[in-house]
Amino acid sequence: MSHSPFDTSKPLPVADGDSAEFWKALNEGVFLLQHCEDCGDVQYYQQAMCRICLSENVSRKPSSGKGVIYSYSVVHRAPGPAFKADVPYAVLLVQLDEGPKMISRLVESDLSLVDFDLPVEWVGVEVAEGVTLPCFRFAKS
Amino acid sequence: MKRSIRGQAAIIGVGMSQVGKVPGKSALYLAADATKKAIQNAGIDKSEIDGVLTGMAFSSPFHRFSIALSEYLNIQPRFSNTLQVSGATTAASVNIAAAAVMGGLADTVLIAGGDSLLTGMSPDMSLRSMSESRDQQYEMPFGIPVANTFAMTAARHMKEYGTTAEHLAQVAVCHRNHAIQTPGAQMKTPITVDDVLNSKMVTTPYHKLDCSLISDGGAALIVTSAERARELDVEPIYILGGGEYYSHEHIFLAPSIVDTGAAHSSQKAYEMAGITPSELDVAGIYDCFTGTVIMMLEDLGFCKKGEGGPFVADGNITHGGTLPINTHGGLLSYAHTGISGALLHFVEMVNQLRGECGDRQVPDAKLSMVHTLGAGFATQASTVLGTKETL
Repeated sequence: MSHSPFDTSKPLPVADGDSAEFWKALNEGVFLLQHCEDCGDVQYYQQAMCRICLSENVSRKPSSGKGVIYSYSVVHRAPGPAFKADVPYAVLLVQLDEGPKMISRLVESDLSLVDFDLPVEWVGVEVAEGVTLPCFRFAKS
Repeated sequence: MKRSIRGQAAIIGVGMSQVGKVPGKSALYLAADATKKAIQNAGIDKSEIDGVLTGMAFSSPFHRFSIALSEYLNIQPRFSNTLQVSGATTAASVNIAAAAVMGGLADTVLIAGGDSLLTGMSPDMSLRSMSESRDQQYEMPFGIPVANTFAMTAARHMKEYGTTAEHLAQVAVCHRNHAIQTPGAQMKTPITVDDVLNSKMVTTPYHKLDCSLISDGGAALIVTSAERARELDVEPIYILGGGEYYSHEHIFLAPSIVDTGAAHSSQKAYEMAGITPSELDVAGIYDCFTGTVIMMLEDLGFCKKGEGGPFVADGNITHGGTLPINTHGGLLSYAHTGISGALLHFVEMVNQLRGECGDRQVPDAKLSMVHTLGAGFATQASTVLGTKETL
């Protein structure tokens, strides 16, 4: 789906057959990862088959929601009108405790303290009705 | 025997439109204008072109840009495609053109591109069109500009290897100095390291002057067989090797964000060409951001991993250094015309190898390479070029 350049609404995830369950669960407060029952690989990016061994014997389990900041970049120039009100904000490359990395956004945290290797925990942010993004804040403990 | 495109095809003509701020010109016009100049440079007639390769153009509605361009020029090719591997499209096109010529799919291939990013679209539209190449589900909703994926790789490189903001800034200063020597460059005002560091922050660690330009313009190359090239009254620049590597789509699935697939694509190209990187006289390196250049200097084998920053600081990437790169000023200071931006690197390298660069000529340049990349280091394509002495 593409947006009109004059559309100032934020891009929202549109679920497909691989990811419908993932986005539905997020909306219900659960952050799911996929575990391959054959080779044990854990994936964040939702696919109907394991990307390592191509088995379709993959099951979804709740993530610990914990990880560390592997890299980050604080955005000052918004990528289009929809994000202008948000700057500055930190885009994170989070390394989850279960292994996979993911792109996310730092929320509920002091932006000036963002740094590599800081422990973070997931928090669901409802960005539109029925659409929840997996974001992260500095871990409480 | 290992199959190879080495020396089978050559670039016989190069052309560019005016670049920078070129109002009132469509993407197709800019590509066609560059094509006319490339045809003239090659000394051929447009009727000889039977292959056309392009990328897409952000400011053009045509999905099949190569077909639309053929129509614009009234050419009916028997081989054509609109390729899409982001920034890597350019070197990939040259490699594919050489293979197509070698395989008999075409005799003479036009590789062209043009875009109107600066005046044909608002800055928001340009940025948005580029950031929307990120995944709709797992990347875009978080507000990830195109610069952000590259910025996160640079940030991690700085943490792991001690690369500094000053090192990044020196890349920008070097490119600006090169652009000042190049007629037609978009940016001609000298800059200092402090100017870069004091320019507006875009996405950390990248300031405005760490980022490439947004430009209008087009460029074109003509590739034909080595046999045909020798019949023409031009100096052919031979395609000696090509290599590509595609490691991931999503930045979070990159095997590494500091060691990139450029190491693989360039190694393939060097092997095919039968050279080592230390033999190169001059190079064109995709410079979408300053940190990108530092990482590529390492992954392309010009210095050790982690030493890209000091390598730049020691003056190695400019005239008199180990390997002058982007002598026209690159995407950072000459022009960034979108997908066709790296065609400008090819034009410059061909001109260098032909000894036609005037004040900015690298003496006795015989062997060059162009490395192009895109999509947060997801796509990588390398091409080695040389004069007839290198065959």
